[in-house]
Amino acid sequence: MYFKLSLRNGKRQARDYLVYFVTVVMVAALIYACNGLVFSEEIKTLSQMMKMLPVMIVLASIVVIGIVGWLVSFMNNFMLVRRSREFGIYILSGLENRQVARLFFLENMAVGGCALALGLVLGNFLFQALRAVILALFGVGYSFSFAFSLRALGLTFLYFMLVYLFAQWRSRRRLRTMKIYDLVYYERLNEGMVIRTSRKRRWVFAGSLVLGTVGTLLLLGGGMLFGVLGAGCVILFLFGFFLSFASGVPAFYDRYPARKYHGSALMVFRTLTAKLATMGVSMATIALLFTATLISEGAGIVIRAIFVGRAADTSCFDLFLGFDAERAGEEGTRINRILEYAEDNIPVESSVKYPVYQGETAEFTEYIESEAEYFRYYDYDALMRRSDYDALREMLGYPAVTSGKGEYLIHCQAYVAGAAQKWDCPIVVGGRELLPGGVYTEPFLQSDWKSNGHGFVLVVPDGAAQDCPVSHIIYAAVTEEPVSEAQYRAVEKTAYDSGVSVLLYAGAQVENEVASSTALMVVPLYYLSLVLTMAAATILTVWQLSETDRYRHQFVLLRKLGMDRRKMESVLRRQFSVYYAMPAVPPMLIGLPCIVSMARATEPGVMVGLRHPFAIAGAALAVFLLIYAVYILLAYFGLRRNVLPD
Amino acid sequence: MLQVRNIEKYYGSRNNVTKALDRVSFEVADGEFIAIMGASGSGKTTLLNCISTIDTVSAGDILLDGENIAELPAGELARFRRERLGFVFQDFNLLDTLTVEENIGLALVLNHADSREVKHRTEEVARRLGIEDILDKFPYQISGGQKQRAACARAMVAGQSLLLADEPTGALDSKASKNLLEIMVRMNRETKATILMVTHDAYSAGYAGRVLFLKDGRLFNELLRGERDRQVFYHEILDVLALLGGDISDVL
Repeated sequence: MYFKLSLRNGKRQARDYLVYFVTVVMVAALIYACNGLVFSEEIKTLSQMMKMLPVMIVLASIVVIGIVGWLVSFMNNFMLVRRSREFGIYILSGLENRQVARLFFLENMAVGGCALALGLVLGNFLFQALRAVILALFGVGYSFSFAFSLRALGLTFLYFMLVYLFAQWRSRRRLRTMKIYDLVYYERLNEGMVIRTSRKRRWVFAGSLVLGTVGTLLLLGGGMLFGVLGAGCVILFLFGFFLSFASGVPAFYDRYPARKYHGSALMVFRTLTAKLATMGVSMATIALLFTATLISEGAGIVIRAIFVGRAADTSCFDLFLGFDAERAGEEGTRINRILEYAEDNIPVESSVKYPVYQGETAEFTEYIESEAEYFRYYDYDALMRRSDYDALREMLGYPAVTSGKGEYLIHCQAYVAGAAQKWDCPIVVGGRELLPGGVYTEPFLQSDWKSNGHGFVLVVPDGAAQDCPVSHIIYAAVTEEPVSEAQYRAVEKTAYDSGVSVLLYAGAQVENEVASSTALMVVPLYYLSLVLTMAAATILTVWQLSETDRYRHQFVLLRKLGMDRRKMESVLRRQFSVYYAMPAVPPMLIGLPCIVSMARATEPGVMVGLRHPFAIAGAALAVFLLIYAVYILLAYFGLRRNVLPD
Repeated sequence: MLQVRNIEKYYGSRNNVTKALDRVSFEVADGEFIAIMGASGSGKTTLLNCISTIDTVSAGDILLDGENIAELPAGELARFRRERLGFVFQDFNLLDTLTVEENIGLALVLNHADSREVKHRTEEVARRLGIEDILDKFPYQISGGQKQRAACARAMVAGQSLLLADEPTGALDSKASKNLLEIMVRMNRETKATILMVTHDAYSAGYAGRVLFLKDGRLFNELLRGERDRQVFYHEILDVLALLGGDISDVL
């Protein structure tokens, strides 16, 4: 009978809390899919860096377990309150508290077990999707191969056991100490306001707003100390705000009674305050999760954008080595040995070895510094011989350029192109006055110290540069095959063993690192943010749907009082909008500036176009709202169907 | 069978104490049918909750066959609830997930009765209460009177000797109330079950053999029916209620 009761109650639980059940299934699928990546040999062998992926996913999983543990525990407690009378009857009928606790445990384990089983099936497909995405990042062809990982299953099972045993331990402790009276009459209890006196409430409200502003500013300031202090302030703000606001709205209407009869304020805000009075702490927790979600999603996009932005510039040559100029003479032999090693081991199609010169002045650098967001590396304008430039363009497959005899060209990164195009001053090199002859912005590896200038290089006639001092030496090549990771590591090791400081880039390796870094950072961050959004939105939605009866009574009464259906729909929509906006607006006010600030903290030239900070903040918000909207619509249509009278 | 000795019950915190029961004492013999009456807030439900072990007393003792129920260990207490105690609530408290039959059989199942016996005894008690036709229905599919009879059947099916009913007719119309009360009287006679019924209603109390009146948490009066006619007893109850004063509108 226990089992039958548990099973039947479990079935009812799954039906009544369908949104919660679906979320647990989705979370199980996500955990299994990510665990699939942890144990996938194929993924680990994609690059050296990818060996770190299991660690990153396990770290993210620890947070995920915490969040899911909180969700399950919250839902257990929620159900326990809703069904307290039922449990009271069990005890009154002769069951001991511990037996009721066991009944509840069995019921939850049955639901959790079903969710896990369904999640595993779904997780297999999700794993295939994740696998396809990661393989695509590395440019490796994807072919479907059904692989059921027993180890991934074991780890997922372990996580679920931890989550459920923790939640059960809490509800069991509560059930075992509850008296029948508390259980039978639980529903009659009113939750008191957390902050009772209006004076204290005003202080908490004002203080929380100050803390929110200070916290956001500290987060924008960046740095570890500011970040921790900022996060602390934001947490205090959210809890203070929701607790004081919950108690403050009724007080506001007590003070200005006429306001509550304005429009549909009575229906919309009284419903809200009734809810907030009992869920201030939970609303604050949900808002906190949403803040973390937005920042995680933003961070994911920022990280991806940084890597892609950097790679656009640094991956243009198949092989690129930059050496200090002053060592070129002394250690020429060693440098030659490195280059010989590279050419012996990597089949090269064509290569150019050339110097980058120091200009006589820094006029152009100073101009760019004043006109664009530019970090200066050199005390001089970097110059390149025209013949080297033409050879490099030809090697990279760029169209040939023409210019007049006394002219110089500017090759720069896109972020300084606007300023460069406005530059119309002549420069003097080797005693010759040269006029600007054009601006080019194709990827040219210009973002590093020993690269083709920093942000830009001035291309001057060979004769003019001849007597200028050399800034650094570069070897750039296009190879027959993309440089493999092993070849890259071998060149790196040779350079290291020679004791020569080398700037080394290999296009294939840059792309490989972009793919690895994306997988290492973005996959765990999105894994985390998905779970955070789903957990928080589930609680809001379950809460809303559990109010179905109350809403139905409200609208039946409103209809009897003469409200037409259109007006009722409008009231319901407004109640919904306010309810779902409440925990989402503060996170947006905190999270979006943080994302913009994060994106702006990178070096210039990386965040341009679609990678612009505001575009990234918009994208993060869109991802968040997309998932949130699914839950809002589920709740809205579920409630509308059940509560509005025909 | 039941001895209530000087029990007191306080609610609230240090600064706001409400005394719900104030030195209440009385005894109940085996097979008695007692009604407990009083105005709202007089402590009727609190008294019943304390006897049923739903709530605990702040002072005093409740002895069942000489044993203090407050001192029973958890296992014994559960057995007492399973084997001897039946409780009927004003709002039925049937479990929505179970059919009427399963609701009635719950107490037997918890007593680890044989499944055939559960079926047999459930059907038997349902027949006696006139609800054998609705055994396969869920609570939301039946009327209030049927729900209360099902709750009554659940409270009696395991052969419980002490039936506690908290306003059992409170949510029923007059016909269903009369029906339920007649069933309770019949059960009291046939099974010798002891019944304690809390009620506002003098008409319902008229079915009992003895009526205890509570006022402000204290035992105010006691009325024995003896061999009197129910109508006469009913009028006597009304007289006592008039003496209680002020709450006649509650009573009727």
